[in-house]
Amino acid sequence: MPHFPSRLPALSRRTLLSGAAATLLVPATARLGAAATTSSESPAPKAGGTLVAVLDPEPAGLVAGITISAPAVAVSSNIFDGLVDYDEGFKLRPALAKSWETSADGTTITFRLRDDVTWHDGTPFTAADVQYSLMEVTKKTHPRGNAVFANLTAVETPDPYTAVFRFSRPSPVVWSAFNGTETQILPKHLYEGTNPLTNPWNSKPIGTGAFIFKEWVKGDRIVLERNPNYWDKGRPYLDRVVFRIIRDPASRAAALETGEAQYIPLNPVPLADVARIRASKDLVVETRGFEGPAQMYFFDFNLRREPFGDIRVRQAFAHALNRQALADTVFYGLAKPATGPVPSYQTQFYTADVPQYDYSLAKAEALLDEAGLRKGPDGVRLRIDHIPSAYGEDYRRAGEYFKQALKRIGIEVTLRNYDLPSYVKVVFTDYDFDTHSAWYSAYPDPQIGVQRRYWSQAIKKGTPSSNASGVADPEIDAVIARIQTEGNVEARNAQIRELQRLAQAKLPSVNLLELSFFRVYSRRLAGIEYGPFAGYQSLKTVWLES
Amino acid sequence: MSLDATSAPLALAPARSRRSWRLNPSSFTARFLRSRTALIGTTGLLLVSLAAVFAGVLFPGDPLDMVARPFIWPFTTWTYPLGTDMLGRDILVGLVYAARVSLAVGLAAAALAVGLGVLFGALSGYFGGWVDQVLTRITEVFQTMPSLVFVVVVVAILSPSITSIVLGIAITSWPQIARLVRAETLRLRDAEFVQAARVMGMGHGRIILTHILPNAISPVIVAGSILVAHAILTEAALSFLGLGDPNLISWGSMIGSGREVLRTAWYMTALPGIAISITVMALNLLGNGLNDVLNPRVALT
Repeated sequence: MPHFPSRLPALSRRTLLSGAAATLLVPATARLGAAATTSSESPAPKAGGTLVAVLDPEPAGLVAGITISAPAVAVSSNIFDGLVDYDEGFKLRPALAKSWETSADGTTITFRLRDDVTWHDGTPFTAADVQYSLMEVTKKTHPRGNAVFANLTAVETPDPYTAVFRFSRPSPVVWSAFNGTETQILPKHLYEGTNPLTNPWNSKPIGTGAFIFKEWVKGDRIVLERNPNYWDKGRPYLDRVVFRIIRDPASRAAALETGEAQYIPLNPVPLADVARIRASKDLVVETRGFEGPAQMYFFDFNLRREPFGDIRVRQAFAHALNRQALADTVFYGLAKPATGPVPSYQTQFYTADVPQYDYSLAKAEALLDEAGLRKGPDGVRLRIDHIPSAYGEDYRRAGEYFKQALKRIGIEVTLRNYDLPSYVKVVFTDYDFDTHSAWYSAYPDPQIGVQRRYWSQAIKKGTPSSNASGVADPEIDAVIARIQTEGNVEARNAQIRELQRLAQAKLPSVNLLELSFFRVYSRRLAGIEYGPFAGYQSLKTVWLES
Repeated sequence: MSLDATSAPLALAPARSRRSWRLNPSSFTARFLRSRTALIGTTGLLLVSLAAVFAGVLFPGDPLDMVARPFIWPFTTWTYPLGTDMLGRDILVGLVYAARVSLAVGLAAAALAVGLGVLFGALSGYFGGWVDQVLTRITEVFQTMPSLVFVVVVVAILSPSITSIVLGIAITSWPQIARLVRAETLRLRDAEFVQAARVMGMGHGRIILTHILPNAISPVIVAGSILVAHAILTEAALSFLGLGDPNLISWGSMIGSGREVLRTAWYMTALPGIAISITVMALNLLGNGLNDVLNPRVALT
């Protein structure tokens, strides 16, 4: 697996950039027994052909800077580009920016842009597009953009192919967000003066990307065609990419097995079917490509309600949930127990040196007794409800697992299942739950994905994937503030490790699993990428073998 | 009477108490005992009801408990004769306990629907005029909506629970009962015995309750038994769509969760499917049988 050839030289350079780049080295090691084989790497890419991919659910729009749902990003990354890109070792790769440098004090980043790029409508791409996209779209409408680029004060454009980013203080986190799946560059000439959220171009996008938007038949398919003027010469290889929308998981599996579709990047088939599909001669199950989003599964308490204010009660829950059994049964082995909020494969941030809660019903019962929750004559000591994530049957089944596991220590759980919009309202707007389980993306930097679970300022009524449990701890807040403002990479990483320790010691939420998302695709596909965001990434490197 | 006089109701009565137990061949019991469909239906239903009632005695403990290794196939071990599901729950125990939920939902929904239907139907048929106009329009509004979609909406709004499911099914099935009762009431309203009751000075309520409904009730009983079957199927459909009560086990929820592994472990879907088929079939047979039994013009063999 990758050995980070750039790490040592990068650390020896003096600019903040190199330091920052080093922090981004996430080993893209095959997680949790990733696919045994990868598609055959033929030296000579073959041009032509139509690739049929499958999406679910249908996205609301096709611009990732505006609609951030995973399926939207998976389509959008083909149409738009970012300033940079990541390779498999999480190193920066040029995209719309040819090169970049960071000032010694870390508050200025200068991007040199490509001068041979045109939008799909023929208009030339310039630094003004970069300025507009960052200041007007990313900072104002992107749900995470405002937090990540909080310190970005201005983007200057001294000439059409130079963009100078000015920060009020060093922000190492931005280097985890310049890629095209997170911060897309949009055409200023089509968006300026409009409300980006309601701009009609969101559903017929004009980008700079490898593929040109052709048509979107709602409920059925999205068709993209090869961009013959793409700046990355020779690419893309495919003539056409068709994203079909298939809602039923069993039908998605069937589409792959009959050869009707060749690629499913997200949520491809029921977990129960993975073993069968792995055994297939024609299909590949690939778990690499999700280290960037890094999905982490957890069990939350509504800390506004009693008895969850008592840490002994929360510890009892942590002791009562058998995370290994959960990973093996409910997730069919496509997950592994988490030791904290940061995934173990993000080695530059991760620390295992944090309090752990082993599976022990005896300890759990003792803690509950100590907290004054004694068993009644019916064997029940506490009655609570639980809302599992509405993002699929697997999470509902996990809810059934929690119900049974907690019953063993005398906690009677009533499950409440909702459809997606009601779930978002009940959990993130009404806060009407005792306990809740879900996954959030940790993202390549804990400041993007992890802090929102623990930061008191991330208690945002109505915002999905925010701090719904109401964690507000001054000590944790102080550490998060230091992570946000610390410019020195090592000192910042130390604070990130401190955050993990506090998260496990104070236990406002039980970290359960590192989920292993996966793609399924035909062995006829070649040139598949395995980078940290590859599950969402452009298909410009892919071709079809006959 | 077109009853076959040579058929032998006597044979069904115990020999030693022939005189005292002799049944009038046209009585309900005698006709019921001669209806093969009704008997088969009753037997099937009785078995399911016994399983439901004695579930706790047969299998003490929680049917949702994860007791063994997941994915044990049926008939491979005596400990779990029908195998285990994807979480390691005993399928046999699940089936037996699920009978409770499915029957309870079926009976409660049917009872509620019959109650509503009788009320609306009797009032609109008996009073006629503007009462009839208004009530019939209301009934039609409910009838024009596709029932499964309507139930899904009701359950989704009220959040899935056993109460909302019963309510949803009842709300969508009462119109057919209402129309049935209305038609019967219209027929009876001007019958001579009703006119006589009216002349005697009986109130409307008493006339409806003591004279009209008792004579209109047989088609309702038949429709009601079919309605129970319909309600069980609807509950199964809701659970299949993920709108069942997650805290209870029903045949529908077993099928719903088994569906995902249909390709690898079809038995998880097939077994509760068989249970539903048997129960619904029994209820339909009972309904058809009752229809014959309660209709004196049908000859029973």
